[in-house]
Amino acid sequence: MAKFTLPKGSKVKKGKRVDATHKDSTNTKSFKVYRWDPEDETNPRLDEYVLDLDDCGPMVLDALIHIKDNVDSSLTFRRSCREGICGSCAMNIDGRNTLACLKPINEVKSDVKITPLPHMPVVKDLVPDLSHAYAQYESIEPWMKTDSPAPTRERLQSQTDAQMLNGNDGKGPAACILCFCCTTSCPSYWWNPEKFMGPAVLLNAWRWITDTRDEATDERLDQLEDPFKLYRCHTIMNCTNSCPKDLNPAQSISEIKKLMAERHS
Amino acid sequence: MTEKTNKIERPLSPHLQVYRLPLTALLSISHRISGIALILGAIFISIWFIAAVAGEEYYTLLMDFSQGWIGTLMIFGWSVALFYHLCNGIRHLLWDVGVGLNKCGACKGNTIVILATIILTAGIWFYTSENAPDLVDVNAIEITDDEKEEGEE
Repeated sequence: MAKFTLPKGSKVKKGKRVDATHKDSTNTKSFKVYRWDPEDETNPRLDEYVLDLDDCGPMVLDALIHIKDNVDSSLTFRRSCREGICGSCAMNIDGRNTLACLKPINEVKSDVKITPLPHMPVVKDLVPDLSHAYAQYESIEPWMKTDSPAPTRERLQSQTDAQMLNGNDGKGPAACILCFCCTTSCPSYWWNPEKFMGPAVLLNAWRWITDTRDEATDERLDQLEDPFKLYRCHTIMNCTNSCPKDLNPAQSISEIKKLMAERHS
Repeated sequence: MTEKTNKIERPLSPHLQVYRLPLTALLSISHRISGIALILGAIFISIWFIAAVAGEEYYTLLMDFSQGWIGTLMIFGWSVALFYHLCNGIRHLLWDVGVGLNKCGACKGNTIVILATIILTAGIWFYTSENAPDLVDVNAIEITDDEKEEGEE
């Protein structure tokens, strides 16, 4: 049964307020950041940092880096490429999941509230524990499976076939960076994380099902033939709405459902 | 290290508490809520039939309730739920065959579903209010003689 409230120890308390602006700051903004340290043995809290936006870059990630470098070095978050291709800085900003490096600060009208990806165990501050989601990803065996003997060179694809993976706009399922913004935005996944695969993993399942070079399509479909793994998707569309790469997990899931229906008829 | 970290009770990150649900998600949960409302409505209709079979006394009681403001509000709510569930259900059927299953399509679909619900609900209430005098007359004729005389005048 879905539990809509947070467990007692997870309730977010009010935290400290740090004003990092100068006397002559005019361009200020408040960042309310989720904090939790396993060594504190207390509830998570929401710390407020007031920054002078002239001190830092334009993106939310720039603000977080500015806080870590100049205000509070204990702030913990994942980041790497700062250009939306590594998927490390996925978090909930202003109530929506996205990549901090792609989210302009000025898109947030009020205070910038930053929490970890939703409904995940927290490792520290903005770092969620994604091991379960990674294990689910592994379970779909995201690699090419073939029975036919390996050719002497690459297995070739026609442009049309490749388009199934890349899309005609480069936004096909192969462009997924596994940031899990979609999976952690999905209420179905919140209520059934153990049994439902979640949009990111299903999108990747489709990426291999629709790959003309892969020869394990039936096996892959068999693996998803289950009341929960695939069919917990109720087309809520939070996945597609939140994807920072503008991909369409909802459509991939729908394609798998269609294939399943064809198999049964 | 691993043993120690395993023992730590990690908090669950906030979900419904912080997520600003997009309109598409709100309409999705509304679909479920309207579905539940319609089941309650079906029970209400069954009670209506039972009351009709049980005799005039019970039927009048139920009609009085239905025409009171609580009853009217409930029936209005059910009509909204019916049309919303119908329109959104059709949208789900279209989604199932892949029509409008993207960000842009979902936005357009939201508008269409909401507008269609409003138009259909307004339409049915307009239609029934136009036709209501007949319905009331049938009851009135059977209940009192006074009103019957008024009707003849």
